[in-house]
Amino acid sequence: MPPTVSASGLSLHYGRTRALDDVSLRLAPGVTGLLGPNGAGKTTLLRVLATAVPPDRGAFTALGHDPGTPQGRQEVRRRLGYLPQTPGFHPDFTAFEFVDYVAILKELADRGDRHREVRRVLEEVGLGDVRGRRIRKLSGGMRQRVALAAALVGDPGFLVLDEPTVGLDPEQRMRFRELIAGAGEGRTVLLSTHQTEDVAMLCHRVIVMAEGAVRFDGTPAELTARATGRVWSSTERDPGAKAGWRTGTGSFRNVGDPPAGADLVDPTLEDGYLLALDGIGTEVTA
Amino acid sequence: MREVTRALVGPVWRTMPWRALAAAGVLGLLTAAVPAVAGAEPDPWQTLLLLRGVALIGALGLGFLLDDPARHLTAPVPARRLLRQALRVGLVAPLAALWWTAALLLAPSASRPPAGDITLEAVVVGVLALAGAALAVRLTDEARPGPFVAAFLLLTAVLAPLLAPEDWALFVQPDDPRWSTAHDRWAVLAVVVAAAGVLCGPEPVGRGRRRAAKARRAGGPP
Repeated sequence: MPPTVSASGLSLHYGRTRALDDVSLRLAPGVTGLLGPNGAGKTTLLRVLATAVPPDRGAFTALGHDPGTPQGRQEVRRRLGYLPQTPGFHPDFTAFEFVDYVAILKELADRGDRHREVRRVLEEVGLGDVRGRRIRKLSGGMRQRVALAAALVGDPGFLVLDEPTVGLDPEQRMRFRELIAGAGEGRTVLLSTHQTEDVAMLCHRVIVMAEGAVRFDGTPAELTARATGRVWSSTERDPGAKAGWRTGTGSFRNVGDPPAGADLVDPTLEDGYLLALDGIGTEVTA
Repeated sequence: MREVTRALVGPVWRTMPWRALAAAGVLGLLTAAVPAVAGAEPDPWQTLLLLRGVALIGALGLGFLLDDPARHLTAPVPARRLLRQALRVGLVAPLAALWWTAALLLAPSASRPPAGDITLEAVVVGVLALAGAALAVRLTDEARPGPFVAAFLLLTAVLAPLLAPEDWALFVQPDDPRWSTAHDRWAVLAVVVAAAGVLCGPEPVGRGRRRAAKARRAGGPP
């Protein structure tokens, strides 16, 4: 499938801090997960790809346009949906008014068509019944869905979601997963998250970032496979393990280079992620 | 573009920081009304100082004009930032003009400085606030840069009279022979500050391009 987004050598510094370091990637339709610890550069990468901030170096194309030109940036923005980490709202607006405001900013000028589109996306995120309620009176999960509706309005071809499930309870997270899975049908979605379960359940591809650079780029199964033979169970914490913790059954789960005769167990995506961050098996496979 | 602009007027009006603007407006009018309420007959320099203070209070309110809690969510949209900022300024300008007229009328007429000249000073301070806000929006990710802009304005108000060179005096009194020349300078300042504010409006397309061009000129790698 041809890539929707193709980036090469993206770098960005904030003062002396290197936020992005020579990042290259290709995104195709479907949901791609972006994992990494705090400060890894995930949000910066998302902001660059969302055209909110230009890179210092490197270039990318999105939806067939070059955002490095004023006209290209406009074209990308016309088909882009962006949900930032801290969306921020005008609390006196109703959900409908706020999404309608964003729709106008997305140049949906015809009032009738726009209102139909706003009602459609609010229904899509399950807020049809509360669209007349002021944002200040909505719960955190509902506000997050308002922000998702604002990102979805105008049927964007490229959707950038920055930690959309942070602060949501398990039920809300499940609901959000359904929404993101639906949004990923026919669209290119880049989803930044700390939740490896979100990636395992939603994404056809995962990118792991650390210190502004891509440390892994492949499928979730490939990331999990990196930990094959490197996760073992023991009755005591293994001092040689890169990471180890007591599980609910009382035994220890260790990740790293196992000793001879270790009781190997099936790895999870999280194990692969931990090893990718530790510098083990971090070759980029894309 | 015209349709989008027309559709934006209502929502943008509602997104403006009315509390900060109203607080500055009320405080400014109360300050202007102090001599009338107290029944005092201030000297011309006192009325001048009073009106300069009122202008500063109004400008402090304008420093919050570009605050936008939804800034991050609405950053990558096709409607240009400059258009949205211009709309805010356009919507607040008639109210600011009415407010300033009321402040002038509240000041004692016997000691009031020339209205055109003191209005020019007020315009410069107001435009400085807006330019500061536009600069803060351009250079930072702050959704609500108003408090920083207000602090910058207060600092400028304190330092400018102290640091301005003697032959570039701005804060003179009406009976000073330099009054007219000083207001020529205020006019120049108005144009310069307004131009700086407008230049801050558009979003940069790429920092990399400028740096790369600079590096190429210097013969280094882009």
